[in-house]
Amino acid sequence: MAQSLQKDPFYIRYYTGHTGRHGHEFLEFEYSQGRLRYANNSNYRNDSLIRKEMYISPIVVQELKRIVETSDITKEDDANWPKKSIVGKQELEIRVGDEHISFETAKIGSLVEVQESDDPDGLRTFYYLVQDLKCLIFSLISLHFKIKPI
Amino acid sequence: MSDREDEMILDDGAGRGFRGGTSSELHRTEQQFDKLDSGSGRDGDTGKAARSIEGWIVFVTGVHEEASEEDLQDKFADYGEIKNLHLNLDRRTGFVKGYALVEYETYPEAKAAIDACNGSTLLEQEIHCDFAFMREPPNAHRGPMRGGRGGGGGPRLRGRSVSPGR
Repeated sequence: MAQSLQKDPFYIRYYTGHTGRHGHEFLEFEYSQGRLRYANNSNYRNDSLIRKEMYISPIVVQELKRIVETSDITKEDDANWPKKSIVGKQELEIRVGDEHISFETAKIGSLVEVQESDDPDGLRTFYYLVQDLKCLIFSLISLHFKIKPI
Repeated sequence: MSDREDEMILDDGAGRGFRGGTSSELHRTEQQFDKLDSGSGRDGDTGKAARSIEGWIVFVTGVHEEASEEDLQDKFADYGEIKNLHLNLDRRTGFVKGYALVEYETYPEAKAAIDACNGSTLLEQEIHCDFAFMREPPNAHRGPMRGGRGGGGGPRLRGRSVSPGR
């Protein structure tokens, strides 16, 4: 099973961050070949960089894949999404099956921003997928390492 | 850990790509990631399963969208005291997303839960269970993906050919 995970091209990477008064503050996670990596840097109040990695089993990978596939994110396009700004940016890269997406957009504070964008349906798909992925990954990290990931 | 391969993925996919360069921080060569060195230890042979810091995490899929924490407690408490239970919701619908994480203190408890519940039903829906974490496989992230085309081993940097100094 582990062998098949190592050969599976399924890949997810999400980054959100900005550079400002407290330096480069970001949150990023990546799944690749059985390995899940997570990094979070918040310099605010001297918080330090967290970097964690763990190997997840096929059942977890299948669920990640299901969440990605049922979101239909690969049918979207970021052409009309808000461009990255001084407030920051988000990157989402996914490879699943024959599909490969690399999306980049501004940070999204709320659903109002989604609604007022030029592509509310597409951006909403992105917005909820990111939340669902973060939710699963934060559960994995907080149970495995007993830390609060953010 | 040097697995940054900037030039590896240049195929066209959907999306604008990261034209200003990606801001990814996960592939800088000097990075060290914390990980648990979870051999079998006092638990004897645990196969490929990896221990978490305070116990063993069972991952459950196929969970009915209307399942409650009590439904999961009722099913999984038969195999040992549940130390933690995460039943996450779909952020769009507010219903259960379809998976749960159950923590037991010992390997035998977690193993018994998996053996008994994998393939069983919960609210008339078939569920699947297994350990959530695995030990690091030998040769992980050192294989065919390094420097190859089409791999998933690093962020894609479209619009930038080769990093300076390479």
